[in-house]
Amino acid sequence: MAKKNSKTISVSLATATCSLLGTSVTTPVQAQEEPGWDFNTALLYYGESDDRVQDVSLNILGRRTYVDDRFLTLGLVLDSLTGATPGGALPFSSPQTFTSPSGLAVYTTPADVFPLDDTFLDTRFALSASWQQPLSRLFTMNAGLTASKEYDYLHLGANFKLARDFNKRNTTVSLGLAFANDELDPEGGAPVPLSAMLDVGDLSNKTGDQSKDIVDVVLGVTNVASRNLLFQLNYSFSNASGYLNDPFKFLSVVDGTSGDPIARIPAPGAVGPLYEYRFENRPDERTKHSVFGQTKYYMDGKVLDLSYRYMTDDWEIDSHTIDARYRWPVGDSSYLEPHLRYYTQNAAEFYRISLVNGAPPVSFASSDYRLGDFDAITVGMKYGWKTRSGNEMSARLEYYMQDGDAPSDQIIGNQASRELYPGLDAIIAQFSYRFGK
Amino acid sequence: MRLSRNSVIDSGNEPSVSPAGAARKLHLHQKSGHYQGLFRAMGSPCELLVDTDDETSASKLLEIVAAEAWRIEDKFSRYLPDNIVARINDSDGQPVAVDDETANLLDFAETLYELSERRFDISSGALRKAWTFDGSDRVPTAHDIENAVATVGWHKLSWRRPEICLQPGMQIDLGGIGKEYAVDKAAGMVANEAPCSCLVNFGGDLVATGERQSSESWQVGIEAPGSSAVTAQKLIHLKTGALATSGDSRRYLLKDGKRYSHILDPLTGWPIENAPRSITVAADTCTQAGMLATLAMLSGADAEEFLAHQNIRFWCLR
Amino acid sequence: MRVKHQAAMALLIATVISGCSSMGVEPWERDVLAKEEMQLVTDPVEAGIDDHIYFSKEASSGGRGFGGGGCGCN
Repeated sequence: MAKKNSKTISVSLATATCSLLGTSVTTPVQAQEEPGWDFNTALLYYGESDDRVQDVSLNILGRRTYVDDRFLTLGLVLDSLTGATPGGALPFSSPQTFTSPSGLAVYTTPADVFPLDDTFLDTRFALSASWQQPLSRLFTMNAGLTASKEYDYLHLGANFKLARDFNKRNTTVSLGLAFANDELDPEGGAPVPLSAMLDVGDLSNKTGDQSKDIVDVVLGVTNVASRNLLFQLNYSFSNASGYLNDPFKFLSVVDGTSGDPIARIPAPGAVGPLYEYRFENRPDERTKHSVFGQTKYYMDGKVLDLSYRYMTDDWEIDSHTIDARYRWPVGDSSYLEPHLRYYTQNAAEFYRISLVNGAPPVSFASSDYRLGDFDAITVGMKYGWKTRSGNEMSARLEYYMQDGDAPSDQIIGNQASRELYPGLDAIIAQFSYRFGK
Repeated sequence: MRLSRNSVIDSGNEPSVSPAGAARKLHLHQKSGHYQGLFRAMGSPCELLVDTDDETSASKLLEIVAAEAWRIEDKFSRYLPDNIVARINDSDGQPVAVDDETANLLDFAETLYELSERRFDISSGALRKAWTFDGSDRVPTAHDIENAVATVGWHKLSWRRPEICLQPGMQIDLGGIGKEYAVDKAAGMVANEAPCSCLVNFGGDLVATGERQSSESWQVGIEAPGSSAVTAQKLIHLKTGALATSGDSRRYLLKDGKRYSHILDPLTGWPIENAPRSITVAADTCTQAGMLATLAMLSGADAEEFLAHQNIRFWCLR
Repeated sequence: MRVKHQAAMALLIATVISGCSSMGVEPWERDVLAKEEMQLVTDPVEAGIDDHIYFSKEASSGGRGFGGGGCGCN
């Protein structure tokens, strides 16, 4: 049958039925299929080049539909992390020796290479549960709990969201709140901020466990613009307070003229660092504001997904993220989806590539590359298909690359001839399987 | 909580007659929390579920519903020799004046004829002379079909309220509208009579009136095409509104591995190709649900796309 | 963020909401919007994975939903 104007058929049929039966219906139909479980599972491999971080994780999300549009969602993530990560010191033309985070051993890194700490090995286990239900004809609520545990880290969180529909359900406004408390109990204890890295066995500058509290608020509007176009606009506020440092990161102490690290002699009979290092310190509070916009556009079977996020915080970091995905059906039951993401951020106000020996003391300093000045690009492709039993599988492969610069006003003497920013490049590979009623 | 299956839709009813008198018995059973009334009408097993513990009112409502079902069957069944449909079909080219109720059905049929781009045509009754859907392999010859198609076509008859004039040899068949119409009429009478929630189910076309006391839904099972077991394939929770099923689980022909469904395209005389084996639609009234299911079937391979455009809940089994 | 920016943000959202009343579709025109590939988050597991990766490697997080995180990722 040719595609008649659907409005004509529905409305004409309703009118004709009215005339036939001589009455008009006052209660609209409410019919729903017997609900059940559906599952979304994924296996992820993330691997950085040069023996840096490698992560394998299993992700499972199960959703149970109950009658009357109520949902229970349960999630599980199992994550295994290995590999080396930059400790925060700058490269030097001699090998460098560091005390490991636990304070019980040393490790040495070769000359002229960015020093990496390869003592990391961790497994993370995360659970989440959320419940969604309508509160009335136009209101929906969502409440959830999250928890995750690593060897030295515990996260507990709760979230709540309220949404209301307007304008024939074309517009939805929502307000969400989330609270989290994270506890950190690093092996050996969190170091006193800006204290020196000491010899093996000397735990005099290590304190106990630390914690932080995070509050998030998200205000959002979702709007249907036309039959093929919808968009979302969100404003988020986030405030974290407490221990925001990375207990394992430190900075090199360098000479104010040459830029070379200051030598150090371990105590007699002890092993320890051969140069001076100081543990980092970040403010104990961070407030972030973000604006996020996303649009989805359907063109004759293909879907374009475009989003932009701007973030600014009181550490003076500003970032921009642009993300584009284009889903393109192949045959009847599969699709290709190329993906491109561009990210740029500028350094935190207290980002330092090194500390100058003898300079006036600073309150905050961190050489963590994640607080630096960099651009990142992700390029990827995803292929998805429907199995004979109607379930979905997909595989994606992506390449993620970060490239940054040290702020030019921080480069001292010989540092100009060395690599000052570690950069990153990684492969992301994921296989997904979705099934259920 | 164990869900009880209140009602099972049987999407393949045998096209047999339930003559007046012979099988017109009423059976009333008490179930947990409701009463179930059973009878046969329009060639199908019919059921009335009443959400009450009061046997007297359940019994009264069953009588009302069965009476309305039999009244409509007696008036509009094409198998009976002396009702208005028989008079129209035997009119041999003469105009026949009809009453308001028949006129309303003919007006409705005309609207459906236009909405379906001439595929839903109540004058296609003559095609049934060529096709007998009994699961055998007796497919009619092209010649038989041509002859039958010659007598089909709403545009060939004249309908000017209150007179209908068929050409000689033409036949009208209200079977495609009658059952759903009867469900809605019976439900209307029940809603007027009693405030409790009822489920009126004539052979798989059903409507729920009112809201149950416990504010649970009625649970309706859709039988999978081809299966004869009682275990339904899908369970639907119906709070209010109607469900209608169009399907071919028992009415089909099988020849040379090809399955001929019983939905005929009146323009060609042949069955619609690539139609789903079963379509169940949820709508406000049983008439709307039934017509949408039928229109979807007539769309053949595009059934799901057609239904997706209507913004109603539907279940297609292929 | 300066107060001026916050006020501008509130005004933008209010404008979007009021402007929204002139756009939109009828309930029977939601066929495309109901497709899985037109949902704002097509694959919640993949979105969660990406959020976690970028939270661990960059200074920004969230935007679409809550801040994410909750891990000692290095």
